[in-house]
Amino acid sequence: MTDALVLRGLSKTFRAPAVRDLDLTVRSGELYALLGPNGAGKTTTLRMVAGLLRPDAGTISVFGIDALADPLAAKRLIAWAPDEPMLYDRLSPMEYLEFVAGLWEVAPDVARPRAEELLKTLGLWDERDRRCEGFSRGMKQKAALAGALIHDPRLLILDEPLTGLDAAVARQVKDLLQARVRAGSTVILTTHILEVAERMADRIGIIQAGELKAQGTLSELRDRTGEAGASLEDLFLELTGERDGEVP
Amino acid sequence: MTRQAFSPRLRPGSTLWLLTHELRLTWRGVLARRRGGARGQWIVLLALSAVAAFAGVPLGLMLRRLEIPVTPLSVIIADVVLAVVFTLMLSQTVAAATEALYQRGDLDLLFSSPLPPRRALTVRFAALATNVFATFAVLISPFLAPIAVIGHPAWLSAYLVLAALALFASGCGLALAMGLFALIGPRRTRAVAQVVGALIGAGFFLASQARNILGGAKSSSLWMEVVRFAGHPGFTLPPAAAWPLRALTGDPLPLATLALGGLVAFLGAITWLSRRFSADAAAASGADTAPAPGRARTARFAAGAFAATLRKELRLLWRDAALISQVLLRVLYLAPLGFLLIRNAGAHLSLALPGGAAGLVLFAGQVAGSLAWITVSAEDAPELLACAPTPAATFRQAKLAAAFLPLAVLLTPILAMLTVLAPGVGLAAAAGCAAVSLATGLVNIWYQKPSKRADFRRRRGSSWFATLVEVILGLLIAAATGLAAAGQIWAAIPAILAGLMMLALRRSDAQIARALRTFD
Repeated sequence: MTDALVLRGLSKTFRAPAVRDLDLTVRSGELYALLGPNGAGKTTTLRMVAGLLRPDAGTISVFGIDALADPLAAKRLIAWAPDEPMLYDRLSPMEYLEFVAGLWEVAPDVARPRAEELLKTLGLWDERDRRCEGFSRGMKQKAALAGALIHDPRLLILDEPLTGLDAAVARQVKDLLQARVRAGSTVILTTHILEVAERMADRIGIIQAGELKAQGTLSELRDRTGEAGASLEDLFLELTGERDGEVP
Repeated sequence: MTRQAFSPRLRPGSTLWLLTHELRLTWRGVLARRRGGARGQWIVLLALSAVAAFAGVPLGLMLRRLEIPVTPLSVIIADVVLAVVFTLMLSQTVAAATEALYQRGDLDLLFSSPLPPRRALTVRFAALATNVFATFAVLISPFLAPIAVIGHPAWLSAYLVLAALALFASGCGLALAMGLFALIGPRRTRAVAQVVGALIGAGFFLASQARNILGGAKSSSLWMEVVRFAGHPGFTLPPAAAWPLRALTGDPLPLATLALGGLVAFLGAITWLSRRFSADAAAASGADTAPAPGRARTARFAAGAFAATLRKELRLLWRDAALISQVLLRVLYLAPLGFLLIRNAGAHLSLALPGGAAGLVLFAGQVAGSLAWITVSAEDAPELLACAPTPAATFRQAKLAAAFLPLAVLLTPILAMLTVLAPGVGLAAAAGCAAVSLATGLVNIWYQKPSKRADFRRRRGSSWFATLVEVILGLLIAAATGLAAAGQIWAAIPAILAGLMMLALRRSDAQIARALRTFD
């Protein structure tokens, strides 16, 4: 089966190198957690995959499509949900979903029932005609997630999807992501909540200073560090060398 | 050593202390909006000084020995001028008072502190009054200051009159906003207040244009009416009518009365409405975002990226109260021109028509520029569009279509009537309006500058180049239209110049992407 995402030699420099010669593969149908300290290059990497930044060097392949040569074809398969929801304050969730469905050319007779289903699943049905400007952070996040799912993407990329959400909303989002993976979609997410990655991710990549430090399942990472039974937090601190900063 | 954040001379929590804080924030807001930093401020200061030197000083010398007589005509002029200033101030304060209800900013912080709410509100509206006063004071100073220094120091009392008017307008603005809130509820107040503000601001202009709107047989110009009435031998005014003029020229009693009146009206409104304001501000939270009851929405989804983008842009335009009020204001200013044009066309006064057609084109260019800026530059979710599998050209076409549609709705009736009555002029005006809309739309695409919708009122400051180009193109196409309407072959010259300008300014997709630093 074709891999969902293959990055080879990906590099991006702003004032300083943000991503350096990154090789990364995400298999089709898996939930992949990309972890790293602040400023490690996670978001820059994902923004390049989503077509928002042009890499200085390297290749991006999305389900076998060269995303740099044919960005529109790659974008059709991808949904990008950043940590700050991409919403319009003066549109209602239903109007927002109509707009996003139009951007991805989803036929109206398919998009409308899908929008209804998503809003009901995410608990936004009663708010469907209310403008987003009055929404809480969690409601905005859910509306944006519904927008990301309206075109049934094969590759869903989420940057910090659980930040600022209360326990109930976070649970809803996690359940929805796992349901997407069960249905065959591929999900890549970044998170600072390591327990989430530990419990949800099929494989984990740890990135630091723009370079991939380690990649694999939790047990593969444990084998690599030789710390049997260690938590992901321990492994993360070990692999990123940040254990030194711990309070004795 | 760090700079002292708060003045040590003022007691923390006092009204003056809080007012200092408000004014500092206001001043920093002004500086933040001005591009060009300190150099820009110096340029403004130099321009004002130049006006003072080359216009204010000669005017001061001319008026050195003039003693303004208190006659019915001078009294009426002073009253009318102050009434116009007051309505302009009121149009600002009613909009600002309404926005304070919805975008409370730090009012939540102030209301949650142990300060009395009345003090917080007093200071917020005193700052608003100061703002309004400062706007007008800056406008009159290049003239008033030289006049006062050269021969009429007593005329400096005009500043006190302005301050009293600003206080009065702030109190009235607050009362009007709260009245609207009580009358039509939180969902509609925001939009209606913007429109009311625009109507108040344009009120005197419309009154002065009654002749053009109603026709010569039904009315005479306001100015002629005033002169005729004032010159009538039996015409007298009540003594109080002369108080504004006397206050302006420094008569202590009317001046003190006016100043005291402004202060009492301001404090009275604050005292009367402060508790109500807190309650309304809480009620306004999110209320204007609720759907209108009993309305089915989004029954059918739009098909395709163009239709979806067009629909989204039209929705956002329709829901932008600040934009609607500004377009409405321009429509109100256009109304007399439209009436004049159609009446002259009906009466076959062919010589009066070309100027009107050119004016119509200038209006179209202004409105098209505003709408295109909103749809193109003030995109709320640029990343969503950037990661969509839609060519950038589709977005541009949909956004321009959304900008032009409301303008077409506004202009079509006037252009249709004009074409029926004077076909040549109507067609020239229609072609000119279409050309200027397209030209300003393209300039907004080529030189787009991502901004926030909230920056709409300050959009001209954000891209002076695009603004200048829009103005020049508007003038050239208006000139071409006017000359074409007059049947002059010379129309080709400004039209060709406008075309050459467009060719020279044209930017490719790659150049736009490079300027925006986006991934094309």
